This record gives sequence, C-alpha cells and structure tokens, in this order.
Amino acid sequence: MAGWSEKVLEIDLSTQTYKTYPLDMDMARLYIGGRGLGARLLWDLVGPGVDPLSPENVLIFTNGPLTGTGYQTSNRFSVTTKSPLTGTILDANSGGFWGMQFRKTGYDVMIVRGKSDKPVWIEIKNAAITFHDASDLWGMRVFALTEKLGQNNNKRNVLCIGPAGENLSRIAAIMNDRERALARGGPGAVMGSKNLKAIVVEGKDRPEIVDKDQFKFLLYEARKSLAQSPLTSQALPEFGTVVLMNIMNNVGALATRNHQQTQFEGAEAISGEELTDNYLVRNASCWACPIGCTRISRTEKVEGEGPEFESTWAFGAQCGIADLPAIIEANALCNDLGLDTISVGSTIACAMELSEKNFMDSELRFGRADQLAPTIEAIATRSDIGADLADGSLRLATKYGHPELSMSSKGLEMPAYDPRGMQGQGLLYATSNRGGCHMRGNMVGPEVLGAPKLIDRFQVQGKSSFVILHQNTAAAIDSLVLCKFTNYGVAEEYFARVLSAVTGIKYSTGDMIKVGERVWNLERLYNLREGFTNKDDTLPPRLLNEAPTDGPSKGWVVQLEPMLKEYYRGRGWDENGIPTKKKLAELDLEVLL
Amino acid sequence: MIDTRIYEQFRDIGRDLYTANMISSHAGNLSVRLGDKLVIKRRGAMLGQLKPHDLVETGIEKNDSGVALASSELLAHRTIYMSTPALAIVHCHPRTAIAFSLSRDEIVPIDNEAAYLLKKIPVVAEEFASGTPEMANKVANALKDYKIIMLRGHGSFATGQTLEEAFLWTSILEEACQIMLYAKLIDEPFIEYRKMSESYTKF
Repeated sequence: MAGWSEKVLEIDLSTQTYKTYPLDMDMARLYIGGRGLGARLLWDLVGPGVDPLSPENVLIFTNGPLTGTGYQTSNRFSVTTKSPLTGTILDANSGGFWGMQFRKTGYDVMIVRGKSDKPVWIEIKNAAITFHDASDLWGMRVFALTEKLGQNNNKRNVLCIGPAGENLSRIAAIMNDRERALARGGPGAVMGSKNLKAIVVEGKDRPEIVDKDQFKFLLYEARKSLAQSPLTSQALPEFGTVVLMNIMNNVGALATRNHQQTQFEGAEAISGEELTDNYLVRNASCWACPIGCTRISRTEKVEGEGPEFESTWAFGAQCGIADLPAIIEANALCNDLGLDTISVGSTIACAMELSEKNFMDSELRFGRADQLAPTIEAIATRSDIGADLADGSLRLATKYGHPELSMSSKGLEMPAYDPRGMQGQGLLYATSNRGGCHMRGNMVGPEVLGAPKLIDRFQVQGKSSFVILHQNTAAAIDSLVLCKFTNYGVAEEYFARVLSAVTGIKYSTGDMIKVGERVWNLERLYNLREGFTNKDDTLPPRLLNEAPTDGPSKGWVVQLEPMLKEYYRGRGWDENGIPTKKKLAELDLEVLL
Repeated sequence: MIDTRIYEQFRDIGRDLYTANMISSHAGNLSVRLGDKLVIKRRGAMLGQLKPHDLVETGIEKNDSGVALASSELLAHRTIYMSTPALAIVHCHPRTAIAFSLSRDEIVPIDNEAAYLLKKIPVVAEEFASGTPEMANKVANALKDYKIIMLRGHGSFATGQTLEEAFLWTSILEEACQIMLYAKLIDEPFIEYRKMSESYTKF
C-alpha cells in the first residue's frame, strides 16, 4: 500500500538477531506513523513497572507515510520509549536526514529490544542488517564518531550516542546527522543501557504516492503559503528559532534565573539579531525543507549547527548568562557529548539557585559563563558535581531538600516560555504527557505570535479548548511526521489532504485531528498505567504562587486549577483526569483495556 | 459567568458583521467552544449591538437551562463542534454569496486572495434550512473538509480557532463573490493568471 512500506524490523540485541514482519495496517491507519505508531507499539511492548534502563525497555524508531516523499519538511522521524528521566511514555522526534534515509531502507518501524553484552553498532543497508563490534568506539564523542562511521547527508546517515548516553545520564540525547537530537527525556541513556552506540542507515527505496497530481498541487500550494508567511519566509530563515528571544522577553514570558524573573536584562545580547550579526556563518536546512531555520555559527573555538532558541535560553537567560559565544560553545559541547540542552541548562540553573541559597555546597553562580563548559563535561562523565546533575533537576533538587526549585513538570525541565505570561502554556506544561514540554502543542503561536490568530494570553476561561486543539494537532503532526514550523504557514487541512493524496485513504482535517486525540489519550492511558494521577498534572509552586513584580506579566501566576477542570471536561475525562469509557470508545481505544 | 474578554470578542465581530452588510438586524449568530461547553448568542439578540447578557453558555453534548435562551441554530453549532476541530463558528447571510449559492454547487473564486486561502467553497442544500438536524448534519459534514461552506439560499458557516479567524473566511468569501459579480457585469474574457488553477475545483 502506498504511504507505508508495511514492514517492521525488530532487533534483539541480547542475541544479536533480527526479524522482519508486516506492519499491522489497521493500526497504521489509526495511528499513522511516528509518535502515534510508537505509542501504540510501546503500549504492548513495555508493560507497567519496567525499569527504563533495563533490557525490558525498548527503543521504537518510526517514520511516517509522508517521510521521504519530498513534501515540505518530510524528513523527520521519532523514537518512542519509556523515559528514564520521568517514567512517563516518551516520544522524541528529530529532523535532519536520518529519518528520510531510514524510510529508504524500506522499514516503517524499527524496534530495538534487549541488551548487548558488549558495545555494538548496527548498520542497515537497504534491507540488510549487520551487527558490528563497537568496543573501540565506546567513549567516542558524537562529531568524531559520526565522521568515522561515514556520515554523508544524502546517502548514509549516522545516529549515535555520546559519552552522556554511555554513562546513563537521564538527560542524555540520541544524536543524528552530527548535530540533530532526539533530546528530551533521556533516550540516550536507554540506548546506552543497551550497549548500542550507533545505527547507520543507507537506503534506496522511494515512497509511493497514490495521487501524484494532487500531491504536486499541494506541494506547490504549501510552497506558496510558506513563502507568504513572514514567520517561515523571513523570521526563521534570517534569525533562526532564536528570533523568539526578544519577542518572549518583550512580553515578559522569558524564564530567567531558574524562573525567578520573567524578563532578562541581557536578552538583546543573546538574541537572534545578535547571533545573525556577529556569529552566523550561513543558514542550513533539513532535507526537503524550504524554511532553513538551522544556524551554522562560529566562535573562536567552535563552528557548527545551532544554537536553537531553547538552547540559547537554557544557557543564557535561565542561567543569567549574556555571553553568546559561551552559549554557542556550550550548545556545541552538548551536541558532541550527546546531551539535551534544555534539561542541562535548566539543571545547571537549578544548581545555581540551590548554591546561591546555600542549600548545596558548590561554586556555581548565576551569570558565570566560565562555569558552563566544565559543568557540562562533568555531567556527561558523571564526575565531580556532574554526578549530582547528570539525572536532571528534580533528582538534584530533591537530594538537597528543595524539590520545588526544579523547574519541571513530571520531572521534565520546562523550556523557555514562562507560563505566568502565557496561561495556556502553563496548562500545556502541566498536562503534557512527557512532562514540561513545548513541543506538545506550543501555545506561543496563538498566545504570542498570532499564528493562526492572536488570542489573549492572560485569558483563562476557554483557554483549555485551544490547548486541547493544539495538543491534538501537534500529536497528529508528530505522527505524520512533519516539522511543526510548517504549521506556521500551512493549515492542518493541507496535512490531511496531502496524507490522503499519498496514501489513497481519505482523511479529513477532523479525522487527522482525531488521530492526534487518539494518540494523546493513549499516552495518557500509558502514564495512568504507570501510576501517574491527576496530582501530577501540576507545575512548580513558584509558577502557581509567585507573581512577577514587574514587566508585562506583573501580578500574574498560572491560574491552573480552573483551566485544568475545564480541560478534563473538554477532553471527555472524569474529574480525576481519567478518560471515560465513552471517550475511549469514540477513539477506538476501549479494546486496549 | 462569561469572561469579559470573551464578550468583547462577540461584541466586536458581531458589530463588524452588521456594518459589513453580512446580516439583517437580528440574523446570524456566533459561538465559541469552552471545553465541553459553548458560548452562543442569545436567540433574538441583535448581533450588531450585543450586550453581556446576550451571551448564553450551554453544553455541547448535554442540555441545560441555557438551551431555552440560545440561538435557533444551536443544533448546527453543536453538531459542528462534535464533528470538527472548530473552536469558533461564524454564521451569517452574505448577500452576494447567497445569490451565487442559488445556481451553483460550489463557488470557485477567481481573485487571488480567496483562491489562495479558500480554493473552493461547497454549497450544500437542505429543504428545511434552519434549525433542523438534517441541516445541522449536512453543514457539519461539509465543514469536515472545508473551513467555510454555503447553505443554499440561507448563508455561510465558517469555522476557526477564533471568531476573528472564522470572520476572516466569511469576509473573504463575500468579497470573492462580489468580485465574480463585477467580472460578470464587465463581461469580458477571463485571463487565467494562476498556475494549476484547474486543481481548485478538485480541492
């Protein structure tokens, strides 16, 4: 069937064997691919109570029916696993080239189970699988390893972990194409726990498209739309995602010094404008992307991809640091060691606050750019202070008796947007299935950027409807798997139509959003099965009780309780946040229980 | 208690619909979704002069006393919310678009903006074109694939994430129909300027 290769590859590292079998196409139609398909497979493969770092956990790599077709941003892929950082279901997705190449190997899904007794790397050439000894690669950093294994953007693509994953840091990323990351929630540690150093893919299959004329028309129309939107045709290409630094600071929603303030006096010095004027070499693109938001930046010490807005914020405003070269270098170091920049930056910020308040005995202080690199190195190797920081801010703050100083939800460090200035974002963080995350229905579009239309960021009543819609839409986009930036120029109806054109199966916009809702509810069921409750749908006390004393968000805290009540009702869940039988039946999920 | 911020959105869009000649004095209605509830204009209220007490909150799937006050098109609004991801609905009576709906099964704009943003607007027909389940189902079904549709001889239904967005589609539709009307009046051969324009009818 067009749209899917209809093949699953299952690898057992314990025996270094593999098997292939047909993809369940009923499942594919309901969950599409990417995050959705990953969630559905994880439900069956990893039952309650499994230790995320044990051989019983799995890594599920998925692409989607649009992957590799050439549709704008059809380069992404997903990994789904149980998070060692949060204990929740975890999906992370990444751009670059690996996802497109993985699709060309002829598999929709790759499941990695078990644990190798010695370091190993896997090579997939078309459909052939080879296991290689990785003993001599163990300990290598990402950039050197990627080059050694023959990275070639359009032909051969490398996915690997760095020392952080090997050392089971719960904030370790899986890296692909040198500087792209499946970052959040610690998937690198899961890969490290399996003694799996890298997966290299080479393929030649071409995805089939049922209605080529309609596909061509939609490609053309999307190109027009992306060229017309100032966000995708000007702001992102010219300044990258860091364009958001001044914007978020100006509205008083830029988390600063571990969320102690909502504006950063040094924002201008670490802004997209500053990066472009003084450090940008050129911009670059993932495969099949007309936007080109990737930065290639240079300082006296490094040259490479990034930094993204979140990374710049995490090492910048969140740590009280206005030194852009130091931030660029910290970002590059995290990429080379295989670490999640958001969690690393926010964990360092948490340690800075603990230290400044004398709850923790360390030299870390806000504003000390010179402390970034050595601290990041220590995290990756679990040495010195890194032993405390390698497992994220919640474990760190709990150890020192102040868990409330971890700026996380469900244990995942929140990104840059301070929700006291964006009520919807607060609800989003509190209800996100993988914890404090902005990629699960980011409200920055409607609450700040006016995409698709500006809504009042302080409005509480009715805000849950927007959050629910954006969460469902994000889950659908993650299941296709496309980049969410396309949604700044292209409406969801295009995604539904292009999916129909590629697969030959009629999906309306509503059908596609329903897929997103199905995925969201399944993830919720997974977390409930793991013992999470509505009490976990919350935020750090600081965000609920401590209002900023100045700036545009002055006087506001997150009004979580009324929004949460409305949210549960709007989702068709009971007052305890448990999906009702009626809702599960509506989403074809009742069969799972 | 309905938030003042929500009332202000209703008041402004309602006034703009009236001043743009999209409705007669008491016609048309607006609604927004609030979780499992919706807020809709009170039956008989003037859209161009809405007061806070002209808004009614009621359930999307569940009745309560609010239904006694709500607009006669409540059923259509509810059905649309149950069938689509809409968060806001604008229903009004754009005159030129209604005129075109009387002779066409679809309206395919010829101007740049409407072609770009709407591509095509389907026309659905229902004998009992106000307040009936049949009409509600037909309208909601059409809105699964399009953000704005015409109900023959009656008016437009547009969805969006906000009232402003749904109003945008409505406004573009009426402008497109006026342009088509002027082009008909000028009555000169149409020179196609859009690439792949034949695909619009298939959209």
